[in-house]
Amino acid sequence: MSGEMRRGTRVRAGAIRFTFDGREYLGQPGDTAASALLAHGVRQFGRSVKYRRLRGVLSAGPEEPNALLTVGRRPAVIPNVPAPQLKLRDGLILRSQNRWPTLSRDLASLLQAGGGFLGAGFYYKTFIWPNWRTYEPVIRRLAGLGEAPSACELPPPDVEHLSCDVLIAGAGAAGLAAARAAARTGARVVLCEREPVCGGELEFEGASIDGRPALEWAAATLTELEQRGVRVLSDTAMVGGFGGQIVLHAEPGGLPGANTLYRVRPRAFVIATGAVERPIAFVDNDRPGVMLLGAAERYLARYGVHAGRELVLFANHDRAYAAAARLAAGGMRVRAIVDVRSEAPGAADRAGTLRAELERGGIECLTGHAVTAAEGGARIRAVRVAPLVGAGRERRIDCDALLVSGGWSPSVQAGLQEGGTREYCAAIGAFLATGQPSWRAFAGAANGHLELGAVLADGHAAGEQAARHAGRSVPAGSGAAGRGDEPPRLAPFCRSPASLRLEKRQFVDLQNDVSVADLRLALAEGFTDIEHVKRYTTLGIGTEQGATSAVLGAAVLAELKGEPPAAVGVIRPRMPFQPVTLRSLAGLRAGAAYRVARRTPLHEWHAANGGLLEPSGLWMRPRHYRASGNDASAAAFAEARRVRETGGIVDGSTLGKIEIAGPDAPAFLDAMYLTKASTIRIGRSKYMVNLREDGIVLDDGLVMRLAADRFLATLSSGHGDHMLSHFEYYLDTEWSERRVTLTDVTEAWAVIAVAGPRSRATLESVLGADWRSALSSLGHMDFTAGQYQGRELRVLRASFSGELAFELHCRPAIAVPLWQALVAAGLLPYGLDALDILRVEKGYLVSAELNGETTPQDLNMEGLVNLGNPCLGRELLDRPGFHEPARPRLVGVRACDGRGKFRAGAQLTAPDAPTRPVGYVTSAVFSPSLGEWIGLALVARQLGESAQLTACDPLRGAQTPVRIVPPVHFDPSGARMKS
Amino acid sequence: MTRLKCPFCGPRELREFAFHKTLPAGPGTAFERTYERVDRPERSVEHWQHIEGCRGWLKVERNPSSGAVLTTRLLGGSSVDGAP
Repeated sequence: MSGEMRRGTRVRAGAIRFTFDGREYLGQPGDTAASALLAHGVRQFGRSVKYRRLRGVLSAGPEEPNALLTVGRRPAVIPNVPAPQLKLRDGLILRSQNRWPTLSRDLASLLQAGGGFLGAGFYYKTFIWPNWRTYEPVIRRLAGLGEAPSACELPPPDVEHLSCDVLIAGAGAAGLAAARAAARTGARVVLCEREPVCGGELEFEGASIDGRPALEWAAATLTELEQRGVRVLSDTAMVGGFGGQIVLHAEPGGLPGANTLYRVRPRAFVIATGAVERPIAFVDNDRPGVMLLGAAERYLARYGVHAGRELVLFANHDRAYAAAARLAAGGMRVRAIVDVRSEAPGAADRAGTLRAELERGGIECLTGHAVTAAEGGARIRAVRVAPLVGAGRERRIDCDALLVSGGWSPSVQAGLQEGGTREYCAAIGAFLATGQPSWRAFAGAANGHLELGAVLADGHAAGEQAARHAGRSVPAGSGAAGRGDEPPRLAPFCRSPASLRLEKRQFVDLQNDVSVADLRLALAEGFTDIEHVKRYTTLGIGTEQGATSAVLGAAVLAELKGEPPAAVGVIRPRMPFQPVTLRSLAGLRAGAAYRVARRTPLHEWHAANGGLLEPSGLWMRPRHYRASGNDASAAAFAEARRVRETGGIVDGSTLGKIEIAGPDAPAFLDAMYLTKASTIRIGRSKYMVNLREDGIVLDDGLVMRLAADRFLATLSSGHGDHMLSHFEYYLDTEWSERRVTLTDVTEAWAVIAVAGPRSRATLESVLGADWRSALSSLGHMDFTAGQYQGRELRVLRASFSGELAFELHCRPAIAVPLWQALVAAGLLPYGLDALDILRVEKGYLVSAELNGETTPQDLNMEGLVNLGNPCLGRELLDRPGFHEPARPRLVGVRACDGRGKFRAGAQLTAPDAPTRPVGYVTSAVFSPSLGEWIGLALVARQLGESAQLTACDPLRGAQTPVRIVPPVHFDPSGARMKS
Repeated sequence: MTRLKCPFCGPRELREFAFHKTLPAGPGTAFERTYERVDRPERSVEHWQHIEGCRGWLKVERNPSSGAVLTTRLLGGSSVDGAP
């Protein structure tokens, strides 16, 4: 096999090198990992999740539960890639999963050596003594499907947004018929197909459509579709969707690499996704070498790969005979066909004729029998077969591959999202999706039709109906007529009989190691609803989401409960409908593109001068400057001390700034702020506070009056957008008839705060003689405007540090020259950490105190409240609940011994109730001015001025006795800033 | 993903909008207007802002049970109307 070139519909001549578990193999172009390894005789592809049993390939599609491979090298591996979908590329490195140290010798498989049964919910019933944590590390290492990567080297996908009249998922017979019908009405159609070629099952059936070979019809249809402008996307799977948008994922390699994500918004959606073959449960039905019947046909037809040399077929329908004939013609020897039905197909049917022919050719055709067990070790060597009724001994038939088919389950996942119900269809022994919204419909095998004639008619009708829904008129005309395999005459059969003891080896869900015994256990423990059974036993979770296990599980559960399958129902699968990497789903919103990075005009200067830039919300801001100290706290300490001793400059450009203008602007601001803005003189600013509707403080800042009808409001750095929306909302509701305009000018002005004893003198020397008299006469909270280097500059005398300070509002173009001039004149920069130290020393508030739960009274602003301005939030401010003794009050805290340390977040407790906090520390810093730890805290109002409390930090096991002090720790009279 | 029809910008995906509040059934005291929550499974009147677009404020009537958007109107007394 390895020597000669295989021939098939998907492979070409050539050689591709790849490795699997460290060994090198050769494949052909067009091969998948599964086909190439099967061609080399590899039968073991991995081990199962729970019991670590060896597993082989079960299927030929993304529904593969067993053969999931890890691709690539650590740390950027890609786990859980289904081998039948993984197209080979030169140099691919593949590894099997869930085994250590090697696939053939796995340590954890000793778990099953003692015949141990790790039944459903075993975590809760074992590993109890002495403590779950004793076992947890080991179990966490063993648990899980595949290995999570710790790095991602995947490229971002291309993202395309499409809009169309009709989207058709699946280009098999039904999908092609639907696309043709819809396109002929002139509708804009998008057709997607998960496989690299269209046609679906037509590849195998040897059918004829409209009098010619089916594949010829398919090719002609595709040509017609292209001529009519239909967009045909192959290698593109429908993976999910919400709210009218369907998500398609194109991954040409089956392996994450260059890929495309399509977000399609169709007016009508036809789901022609076909049906997935399902297995039958019998003892050891997971042994490598047990494969789905259709999968073996695919490997033969597409890749020229033989599933085995001596085959046994096990099925419950007529199609097994046609399949046997095709496999035998392909060069494999079929030893027996085990048919569970009590009546063999008669001589009148084509299946009966075939059966007779096969028997004449030496194939044993058993009727009314079932395979009860798959024997062998690392691979299957024989099957045990027994009659289902009557006496008769169990026999053994040697084989090296067992091909199973229990019927087909329509792929209805897309119809069970956002509504949609499941209905049991006895004819096919599976569930259909009903109760669909008018724009979404199923067609073909996905709609329960298994005969080609019905499939084509159904697809045609669905395409016409979809075009109608999209507003097109449908011309008269019928669809294609075809004839393929005979109807399967399926007799529902889910599991072979077995003793209770052996039920734990009859697997219902291969991916999650769920057996018949698990289902029986779940029922015994009171889980009767199938969705509960799913969660308790893990049936149908994982990458295959019940594709091969849901219907089988429902049937077995129905048998165990003694109820009809229609009453039991089936589990609801979740998106994505086939494995997709998170990288692909993220589209373009990942990595550096995930969030906007906002930078101030001084950003480059900070970066070039040792500023440690970190995200603060969306902004990048310097925490401190490297030249100031060895580590973060030393640098912040030095910077803060320097500001108080001589002075410093800080970049405050991130401050939110909104201009409010118009004849009604003063009245508008009076309503929006706790105190009146209309009384501010032109050229002056005022500290103002906003309330929410419910009386809670929303934000604080300065409001500057630029003119009679023009104000500039500054807001916290993080709140700019939020406050703009807040003002805009009231402008559009209660104030919509008034003449007020709002303009966000946050990025129109850079802000440099110059603070410290030397600030005025340095500013005068930098700004020049023009500014001298204005600066020297500038009172506290006044501002003046002028120019610097030909651009606008406003100088506002206000302080967030408690020192004599000036806020320079300048146009961004002059921000860097102005900053550099100030540095050259001797004022060094300080960062956010130092800013925080300075403001805590002065008891100024930031979001830690304005935390969305505090009222103005809590924050010692009763005086402002009592001014009585009728503003937003005033009504609810008077609620009795806001005046209770347990309401928080803003206070300062210091360690009792003048040395102790405490952190923000520390809970404060009183001596008489050490486990019930009476408040917590909101901010804490080590103060250079006072030489000890100081903080601000919110404590219950009822506590006295000099209460003794303990600051408790349970995470770090620290406790510090503290005392309550006034919140302004340094220079309470404000003399320094008013000098 | 559901779409809202912004009267200025046309039909846009829900992620471009920010939800603000659901309006109570009728006028009441300040307390009721701020805190009343009445479940109306068939018709919910809400205020949304098109923050990733024109920043206009919208009054949206939705059926929360089915997710269908019934009407969309600009707040602010403008005559621009966005019927779905």
